[in-house]
Amino acid sequence: MDMRNTVETKQQPQNRAVEELPRKYNFSLWNIWVASTLLKILLFPTYHSTDFDVHRNWLSITKLLPLRKWYFEHTSQWTLDYPPFFAYFEWVLSRFVPEAIARDGCIKLTAKDGEYGYLTVIFQRSTVIISEIVLFLALQRLIDTSRSLREKKRNFVIASSIALSPGFFIIDHIHFQYNGFLFAFLVLSLVEARLGNYRRCAFWFAVLLCLKHIFLYMAPAYFVYLLSGFCLKRRKIDTSKSFGENVKQVLFDTIIWRHLFQLGLIVIGVFTVAFGPFVYYGELDQVMSRLFPFSRGLTHAYWAPNFWALYSFVDRILIQLGKNIPGFERLACAILKKSRPVDYSGASSLTRGIVGDVEFVFLPQILPVHTFMLTLFYQILCLIPLFFRPSYERFLGALTYCAWTSFLFGWHVHEKAILLAIIPYSFCVIQDRKLLPSFELLATAGYISLFPLLFGSAEWLFKALITFVWVVVFNTSFNEVCHFSTTLARRAAALDRINLIYEFLMVPFCLFIQMTDVESRNFPILDRLQFLRLMAYSVYCGAGVLSSWNSFSWLYFMDDSVWEEKKEW
Amino acid sequence: MRQLRKNKFVSLFRSSPLNDFLVPFRKAQNQWVARYIIIVFALIVRCAVGIGPYSGENTPPMYGDFEAQRHWMEITTHLPIGKWYYFDLQYWGLDYPPLTAFHSWLLGKIGSLIDSSWFALNVSRGLETPDLKSYMRITALFSELALYIPAVILFTRWMGRYYNNASTIDQTIIAAAILYQPALIIIDHGHFQYNSVMLGFSLLALVNLLYDNFCVAAILFTLSISFKQMALYYAPIFFFYLLRICLRSPRTHSVCILRFVSVGCSVIATLFLEFLPFVVFGGIGQIKQCLIRLFPFERGLFEDKVSNFWCATNIFIKYKSIFSTSQLKTIALVFTLIGIAPSCGLICFKPRKELLPWCLASCSMAFYLFSFQVHEKSILLPWMPITLLLNEVDSDVISMVCWFFNAALFSMWPLLKRDGLIIQYAVLGILSNWLMGNLSWIRKALRAIKLPVHYRNLATPVLPHNLFWRVIIVGSYIAAIGLQIVEFVFDPPKSLPHLWIIGNVEISFCSFALFWIWCNYRMFTLAVDDSKLKTE
Repeated sequence: MDMRNTVETKQQPQNRAVEELPRKYNFSLWNIWVASTLLKILLFPTYHSTDFDVHRNWLSITKLLPLRKWYFEHTSQWTLDYPPFFAYFEWVLSRFVPEAIARDGCIKLTAKDGEYGYLTVIFQRSTVIISEIVLFLALQRLIDTSRSLREKKRNFVIASSIALSPGFFIIDHIHFQYNGFLFAFLVLSLVEARLGNYRRCAFWFAVLLCLKHIFLYMAPAYFVYLLSGFCLKRRKIDTSKSFGENVKQVLFDTIIWRHLFQLGLIVIGVFTVAFGPFVYYGELDQVMSRLFPFSRGLTHAYWAPNFWALYSFVDRILIQLGKNIPGFERLACAILKKSRPVDYSGASSLTRGIVGDVEFVFLPQILPVHTFMLTLFYQILCLIPLFFRPSYERFLGALTYCAWTSFLFGWHVHEKAILLAIIPYSFCVIQDRKLLPSFELLATAGYISLFPLLFGSAEWLFKALITFVWVVVFNTSFNEVCHFSTTLARRAAALDRINLIYEFLMVPFCLFIQMTDVESRNFPILDRLQFLRLMAYSVYCGAGVLSSWNSFSWLYFMDDSVWEEKKEW
Repeated sequence: MRQLRKNKFVSLFRSSPLNDFLVPFRKAQNQWVARYIIIVFALIVRCAVGIGPYSGENTPPMYGDFEAQRHWMEITTHLPIGKWYYFDLQYWGLDYPPLTAFHSWLLGKIGSLIDSSWFALNVSRGLETPDLKSYMRITALFSELALYIPAVILFTRWMGRYYNNASTIDQTIIAAAILYQPALIIIDHGHFQYNSVMLGFSLLALVNLLYDNFCVAAILFTLSISFKQMALYYAPIFFFYLLRICLRSPRTHSVCILRFVSVGCSVIATLFLEFLPFVVFGGIGQIKQCLIRLFPFERGLFEDKVSNFWCATNIFIKYKSIFSTSQLKTIALVFTLIGIAPSCGLICFKPRKELLPWCLASCSMAFYLFSFQVHEKSILLPWMPITLLLNEVDSDVISMVCWFFNAALFSMWPLLKRDGLIIQYAVLGILSNWLMGNLSWIRKALRAIKLPVHYRNLATPVLPHNLFWRVIIVGSYIAAIGLQIVEFVFDPPKSLPHLWIIGNVEISFCSFALFWIWCNYRMFTLAVDDSKLKTE
């Protein structure tokens, strides 16, 4: 199980320079894998969410039922709503369930939750750990394909920051999901993109899409990058020539049809393997209705730290002001062009989450189409530069940007989706020191916004410490390996200070929230403020994520030096 | 020492994973990060262990040590001080010295601020809520963070500066090797006790002895004893060292009466202040009651199964049927005195600082092996000074010490199994050995059978150079692993239900006894070899 070797044998000829490395540098993730796996085993007895039952149910579905019934089964409320590859993955796992564990309650189609023993927990938690090996192999490949010692150091920092990410500890190993396994395919496709293997890049991303469709957020960036970087030749259109000449040139000279067909075949091939059986049985409609349920509210019960959290927060403030300050209501209605009297009865709907309609009292209502338009607008905006200059560096930026805007403006976004922005951003950040403050801000705010996922007291110190140590270690390490930018003039030092203050304030903030939580048993008034604590988390973290996004946007659109191909690695 | 200073210190953990993790932070401006990392990760591991079960979970009516600690918080916060040592002695009556009582009082008061039902008098007996568990775990964690962890860092720093000449990053690596030893982690944060407070005070006392702060050392050691009387295992060495330093200072070769008096006064003053509240509020009889509670000699030679001399030889000689309890007390006392004689004598004649950990190890081990009424958890007392021996620049010492660590963890297996800490036992055992590089031979072995494993230098040698010890160590490892496998696969025969536990006791006892003999031997060779060491 030595990843270093399994991968390195293939890469040997490329890395002549690597051979001369001093022995003291050890760029293997083996140590990190062993240490983190041992720690993860200690986490077996921790709290797990209903997602545990979800995956247990999927194991049972794939084990007990034939393929054509998978997407129709609805004994439990946790129906199968991931794309087919993930269902196949569960099918593979279900082949390895030992008899004793199956009888323990692991394999059972039931409507009730929590009917399983500790053996099932051990088994399912082990599958997370084992499937995560793919992530480590992918990250090791990232390191081993480096072209120089400096790049190798950089990639090692990226790889270890992802491997030790508190996000995976919190979401995968305590809360229970398989994100480590899924992100492995994203890493693989990014590694191939860096090496210029566009076909493999497309292949891995297609596989990823068929594992979990949330990665569709990133698809526009992939599409434009592959199209523009692989399928188009840079040719100037000569205006002096006739229109017909130009069309001919575009058709036969600019577009590389061979590449286009290759990519098309690869993507269609992957999707055929995934969805083919369901098309054969004529169930595609059913599968799609499971994958894209449009009956949810704008925000989740706990608001993800995005734009809508701040939007709802402003509405909340306005409600309080309108209720308590005489005359304010009239003023607000005049400005916002609302008819009076204001109906405050909808104010409680934001807390319900799963229910379809979210009603804002003062601010304009938000429909799915609004969120969709906003997301699309920003995505197209960021894809334009990528289309004209499809460098790998800019592709990473666009990828991060796409995922990030979807997180910020998307409909019914989960807080867990912040990983979609953090993971690609950690690939970007080494390109320039200027990106570092905003990365630190995003990572700190993003990981801390995951805290409310684990509400028990037993895991509190663990999640706080692991996030704290991650921030300390990787702020130092990224600071050491990032490219020094040559144009330091645009760095806004004052803003960096504010960033730092914000990050330091996280510690008293988390402690304060926890103290009010602890004291709520003595003071019943605090207990009624349960929702307020969650809101504080999402608003505070949301402010961080949004301002980090602002500075990232600025650098993405205004500072081309960051996104151009680096001559020296 | 002069010679050693010339030779550059080469850390014995050079090729270990610990080194791999910490070396990226060896730049001077990043050293603080390395120290943060080892401390925060030490806390993280302790947190993760703390998520597991504790002793006596869901076992009414008596529960276990967790309930005992909680119960003491309950009685100290609710009863007047005069009743602390008298209240319902059948149900976990207080049987530790005053400082434990004060510690419980403080933690109980803080806990009551959060939730008064946790420590409500009488009605909270056997209370087991997740929040209470988290609170208790956090108190154990903070107690360790306040005392034991800084003490370890300070000790390695002194050693690096004045003894083995280790660089700052090497000091951090050695401190990490000490902090990730499983025995204390699993007893304090798994089983649940506050041993780290007692060990922390003792270690801080030792650090102060190294810096020649005799009065501070005396006060800290008194605090340690008055937290748990088990710290008396160290008392002879502290006593003889201080006595010798006072009577004939190695520097001036004269009697320092003033030092003697001040050390004596600080001990007496500390004890006086501790017992003062009891005497003021309950009368002079309190002290007698406290001592009766502390030293329960009527309990018998050994409780349960413990890997010391008496329990291990009990299968051949049934002491309890041959001798009366008072005779056994005398026999145990004589054996113990003989056992501690070498270390006490040595520290009297050669009061050198680098010998202190060795003498503490030998002396407390003798207590563990021969004294009356020993618990399996008492192995932590010899364990603490033995962890300090990781500072020695000698691969033989490191391999012997690592052998002892594994034997110590193995000896606690029956206890941990009863507590349901099986996963934690296995994970921590592997983690500590792997971190120090004790498992690097696996890589070598895999390469030897032509498996495609990346080459790395061998980290610490697992076996010492001496053939005799090689055979002993390999034999004991094979026996221990064999026993674990057998225990896992088969149930013990009906006629001998404790067979596996007795096997555990015999293997652990043989390891401990042999280690003790080796420790004494090394101690004397080190003392004789003047050329290598500094005296002051």
